[in-house]
Amino acid sequence: MPKHEPVLLKNMLQPGYTGSLADYERAGGYQALKKVVGKVAPADVTAMVIKSGLRGRGGAGFPTGVKWNFLPKDYKGTKYLCCNADESEPGTFKDRQLMERDPHQVLEGIAIACYAIGAETAYIYIRGEFVLGSKILDQAVTEARAAGYLGKNVLGTGVNVDIWVHRGAGAYICGEETALLESLEGKRGLPRVKPPFPATSGLYGKPTVINNVETLANLPHIVNRGPEWFASIGSPPKSAGTRIFCVSGHVKRPGNYEVPMGITCRELIFEQAGGMRGDKPLKAFIPGGASAPFLTPDHLDVKLDFESVAQAGSMLGSGGVTVMEEGTDMVWAALRLMEFFHHESCGKCSPCREGSSWLVQTLRRILAKRGRMEDLETLVQLCNNIAGRTVCAFGDAEVAPILSTLKYWRPEYEALIREAEAHRAHELPMAAARH
Amino acid sequence: MPNVAVETVKLTIDGQSLTVPKGTLVIEAARQVGVMVPHFCYHPKLKPDANCRMCLVEIEKIPKLQTACSTPVAEGMVVRTATTVVNEAHKSVLEFILANHPLDCPVCDQGGRCDLQDFSHEYTPTTSRFIEVKRVFQKEYFSPLIEKQMNRCVQCLRCVRYCDEVMDVKALAPVNRGTMTEIKHFGTHELDCEFCGGCIQICPVGAITSRLSMYEFRPWMLKRADTVCTYCGDGCQITLQTKDNQLIEVNSSLGAGRNNGDLCARGYFGYHATTHPDRLTTPLVRRDGRLVPATWDEALEYVAETFAQLKLKHGAQVFAGVITARCTNEDLYLFQKFMRLAVGTNKLDSSARYGQVNAVRALCRIQGTHRWPVTFEDIAAAEALLLVGTNITEANPITGLRVKEAVKKHGATLLTVESLQPTVGTISNIANLAAHHFTAHPDQYKPVVLGLIKAVIEEGLADQPLSQKAPAYLQAIRDAVHALSWPTIEAATGSSAASFKEAARAFARTARAVIIVGAGVLREPGASGLAATLQDLLLLTGHHGRPGCGLAPLAEQNNDQGAVEMGTVTECLPGPCDLDDQEARARVSALWQEDLPQGPGLTIPEILEEARGKTLKALYLVGEDPVGSLPESARAKEALEGVEFLVCQELFLTETAQMAHVVLPACSYAEKDGTFTNTEGHVQQVRHAIEPVGESRPDWEIFSDLAGLMGYPLEYGDAKDLLKEIRALVPGYNLPGPTPKPSRPDHTAVDRYLQQGYAEDLGERYRYTPPVKAAGRLTLLVDQSLFHSGKFSTKAKGLLHLQAEGAVSLNPADAARLGIVEGDRVLLSNELGHCRTTAKVWDRIPAGLCRFPEHFDQEARRLLSVSIDVATGVPYYRSAQVKVEKAQ
Ligand SMILES: Cc1cc2nc3c(=O)[nH]c(=O)nc-3n(C[C@H](O)[C@H](O)[C@H](O)COP(=O)(O)O)c2cc1C
Ligand code: SF4
Ligand code: SF4
Ligand code: SF4
Ligand code: FES
Repeated sequence: MPKHEPVLLKNMLQPGYTGSLADYERAGGYQALKKVVGKVAPADVTAMVIKSGLRGRGGAGFPTGVKWNFLPKDYKGTKYLCCNADESEPGTFKDRQLMERDPHQVLEGIAIACYAIGAETAYIYIRGEFVLGSKILDQAVTEARAAGYLGKNVLGTGVNVDIWVHRGAGAYICGEETALLESLEGKRGLPRVKPPFPATSGLYGKPTVINNVETLANLPHIVNRGPEWFASIGSPPKSAGTRIFCVSGHVKRPGNYEVPMGITCRELIFEQAGGMRGDKPLKAFIPGGASAPFLTPDHLDVKLDFESVAQAGSMLGSGGVTVMEEGTDMVWAALRLMEFFHHESCGKCSPCREGSSWLVQTLRRILAKRGRMEDLETLVQLCNNIAGRTVCAFGDAEVAPILSTLKYWRPEYEALIREAEAHRAHELPMAAARH
Repeated sequence: MPNVAVETVKLTIDGQSLTVPKGTLVIEAARQVGVMVPHFCYHPKLKPDANCRMCLVEIEKIPKLQTACSTPVAEGMVVRTATTVVNEAHKSVLEFILANHPLDCPVCDQGGRCDLQDFSHEYTPTTSRFIEVKRVFQKEYFSPLIEKQMNRCVQCLRCVRYCDEVMDVKALAPVNRGTMTEIKHFGTHELDCEFCGGCIQICPVGAITSRLSMYEFRPWMLKRADTVCTYCGDGCQITLQTKDNQLIEVNSSLGAGRNNGDLCARGYFGYHATTHPDRLTTPLVRRDGRLVPATWDEALEYVAETFAQLKLKHGAQVFAGVITARCTNEDLYLFQKFMRLAVGTNKLDSSARYGQVNAVRALCRIQGTHRWPVTFEDIAAAEALLLVGTNITEANPITGLRVKEAVKKHGATLLTVESLQPTVGTISNIANLAAHHFTAHPDQYKPVVLGLIKAVIEEGLADQPLSQKAPAYLQAIRDAVHALSWPTIEAATGSSAASFKEAARAFARTARAVIIVGAGVLREPGASGLAATLQDLLLLTGHHGRPGCGLAPLAEQNNDQGAVEMGTVTECLPGPCDLDDQEARARVSALWQEDLPQGPGLTIPEILEEARGKTLKALYLVGEDPVGSLPESARAKEALEGVEFLVCQELFLTETAQMAHVVLPACSYAEKDGTFTNTEGHVQQVRHAIEPVGESRPDWEIFSDLAGLMGYPLEYGDAKDLLKEIRALVPGYNLPGPTPKPSRPDHTAVDRYLQQGYAEDLGERYRYTPPVKAAGRLTLLVDQSLFHSGKFSTKAKGLLHLQAEGAVSLNPADAARLGIVEGDRVLLSNELGHCRTTAKVWDRIPAGLCRFPEHFDQEARRLLSVSIDVATGVPYYRSAQVKVEKAQ
């Protein structure tokens, strides 16, 4: 029996729960939708979500209801909701489980959000590799439509909510909300320049809200149990509710753990995930997906909520917690992540495009024992020249592994470089070699 | 453009305060106070993409640096572009951009005019700390005219965005990700697009360059001359760049000319025609039946003498002259003065006869003025546009860009009536942007227009004031359209009544509407009538005479409009004024201090007719080649054979010139000075870029010398002298004007039309008689193609790379029915003859039609008959009924 009461994972933890419509209804599914559609004014649903303190689970942690309120007020035309199910952040695998194991919970959340913001069409932009998830969602949409929860005239209220599942084509950047919109429109998935923000000009130029799967999955519970209930979980007021942390790496029991925000890193890693694999000491961990800077054992008592993790110099991000044991080569770890970012930089803007290729090559060189001491200064400067100067937040993310490993484990870099220097001392000068 | 009050915003940039219109981007505001923010991806024509990050600036109260190219100004904004932080940012972004750049400036054609070089010079140290491996792209063949060097690309996407946003061609796309992002075209074949050269011009570095001039120059070696392209009536300003008297390349700069820096393939790649090795370099005189070189003195004296003898013997009425409307205003003006004074006849005409006189007549009749009532800017700002009979992208590409701008940038509603279908292809198709498109064969334009008018009347969209102002006129139209039933119109056009009503509503319910007509209207029988009916549509919807609204007929030739204004069409004196307008005659003769000749003028068809009747003894053809350009049924060859003395003034030894007694070599536009008047009536300066080829001379100089030898001195120091004289007779020639002021309708003319003028031909114009068509025939349309226009484009090697032969394009269903597949040899035939050609199957061609490009129609011309407009003397020979079959 888990120590904390799960909310989002509750159904699927019941033995025999299949995620079918019947199972979901038996567990109280779609009651929230019935409660609000046609009965509560949309603006009051939004107010409820604001009151609950729900913040986005996609990465940036933006207050959800506040985001909805950015939609133009007197606008009568088409609006869209996009559910961001691109989940490509390394070390993150919660949305996948939510969609595969309890799809109706996500659909109900989407339907409630659509009702609140006045959108009749929602798209689930699902990561291309999630073939199973997309099939399950498609099937669930069909069931829900047949049961009158979706489609035209939801539950006979005259409200329309149509949901379409759209599979991506394999680019990390398409999780960035504006690149997602471009991709959904059939274009190359490149982030857009903001402003305009999607709330005013999003999908096909229409006002659009983009929310993460987990964010949306919280909505039925907020409706059913009330915003006050939600706001009492975790570390309110800024970090209310539970988070599904995806623990991976050198732990005994990797997996998804839904806990109230505000438990410590130590509790998550050592109690929930069973502690270190092979009982080696912990050396490093990433608290919020590949984009979040590394933390050290000194940070184990940091609370897992938005503010505390930020204060510790990292971020809660996507909730992907990757743990590394003593003996892990941190330069290698940084390179591994940098390879990912280099591979995924969309190439739209110069600092990220060129910077990622420069950084990755320099790291490879250092690891291959061909580094120079001045490379370290260059790395820091390049990182600082990327962060804050790019079109999208990818630029800020990609420098995290290098800057944080340089901050905490600089001697590892220096050792590699000293070895390189020792090698070079034995090399013949080039001019001499040519003779 | 109307002066609407614009909201303004006050801000400070580097300590200077300024007020700019709301919505202005910081980078543009900065430019206004002389602050240049470095940039690559920004371009005033394109939507901000903010991808290069070069333009970062500091804005007070915003913690992060902002991109000046995408940030609109705000009230009280304080911008700093040169602080330490900003300078550092510029340096670092440039360091990133240079990291993967090959630095092959010594072999790059952009070197010396490259933004990357310039900014590097300003912002970066001379050494680089990048010691990693640079990315290298596999070099691949791109196209015969455009070279791509992706290693130099800074991925600003200006090329891709231009090709999409401005051209609507969408030929380019970035492919792959990150540093390996590469600009490519679609498909495995070479680039296939409009070849406007825009991507070359807009690329800030040397990643996309012209192959026509590759490795031939360094930019600082080039001499520049701003002049005007001669390929169509749009009148684009171009900069001819030369080295050692050779044309090296053509450019156009942003903001310059009516084209604002945009060009089409003809303008950008067509410049080699003028320096083709076949250019005539000396005068030729026929001796013993052969044309042999002669000196200018010999040739001119011979012409002057023969002219004098013939005049003495037969009088001046046996002379006639025709000049091409591709000449400068100065040439055209002096030609008619020469014919009227030195020769003494009004029998002169110009190639404006082939269509432009229809345009001018329609304007004069119902508007009282002879120029467009709108400008290019008005087209871009229009809320509704109706295009009739113009495949505008191929005929007048730059006017077409203004239409695209109206639709794509400002959301205008476009209605098109044209002989093509909305399908996607390698050349942009204006019909694709239309909210309502009516596919029409040439003989269907009229019923479509009548359908629109009927819909306006029946949907109650007619302008209210008109019913008080001109009740009889309104009633006459009402009666006329009632007499036409919807089933008749539907059968005649293939479009439903509902579609007409919808289109009529879209057109009528706007504040700014422009109608653009092209060759499909102006060069088909019934032209002047249809143009008048379109003016009815404007009158009925209240758009006539409203600023920013009106009828804009497209000129095909670069100086069509000038030819009419110079009095170089037979019914006009300079002004243009009617030939028998006594007041005008007095004015002209006072200025010339000479009596004007009496006697009628002759149109080109009439001149040929008289020549065939042997009443014409001498014919002076300047740049006109009737044998080579008219259909055989015009029997031009037979006519010219009957002329005793034929003088041709030409650039090349054309089919007609080969028959001449004397051939005088003239300069091309690249070698002379003067002015052209474009389709919208804008007078623009032509400047020579190279010295005359061989001994060729500007046309006006030849007229002047001949006149002197004939004892009627017409002496001018230079082209400017001539322009001064023109100014005294023709309004609107006070060069240079920034933007033309469109002519305002003359109310007396409009009223005259509304009170009784309409009645002259309204019955005829609103009557519809279905055409009789022989079963099993297709309508052959000989039409302008994008890659060729004028008489010399087939001498331009660049354009020949793009299109070197003609083929008949067929609708897929017709082709299938006839058992024809792409590439088959086919036989086209009718009563007049037959021709063999290759078939192209193209879904842009509507059923029942087939299309042949005008410039390769030598053979196909045999199938065309000529009909002549009784009102305007315009010869029509654009379409015919033909049988199409697979050749055995
Ligand atoms: C490079 C990049 C990748 C992202 N990938 C994802 C993703 O896979 N899933 C996701 O929900 N949000 C992702 N985001 C965040 C989204 O842009 C957006 O903030 C989020 O979907 C908003 O939903 P929320 O408010 O519910 O968190 C990404 C952001 C960036 C900059
Ligand atoms: S920061 Fe990177 S991923 Fe984001 S737009 Fe720029 S190049 Fe693309
Ligand atoms: S030349 Fe071709 S590819 Fe380049 S902008 Fe013009 S149409 Fe597009
Ligand atoms: S080819 Fe030129 S215009 Fe196009 S993206 Fe590269 S640098 Fe920019
Ligand atoms: S010019 Fe502003 S980002 Fe490129």
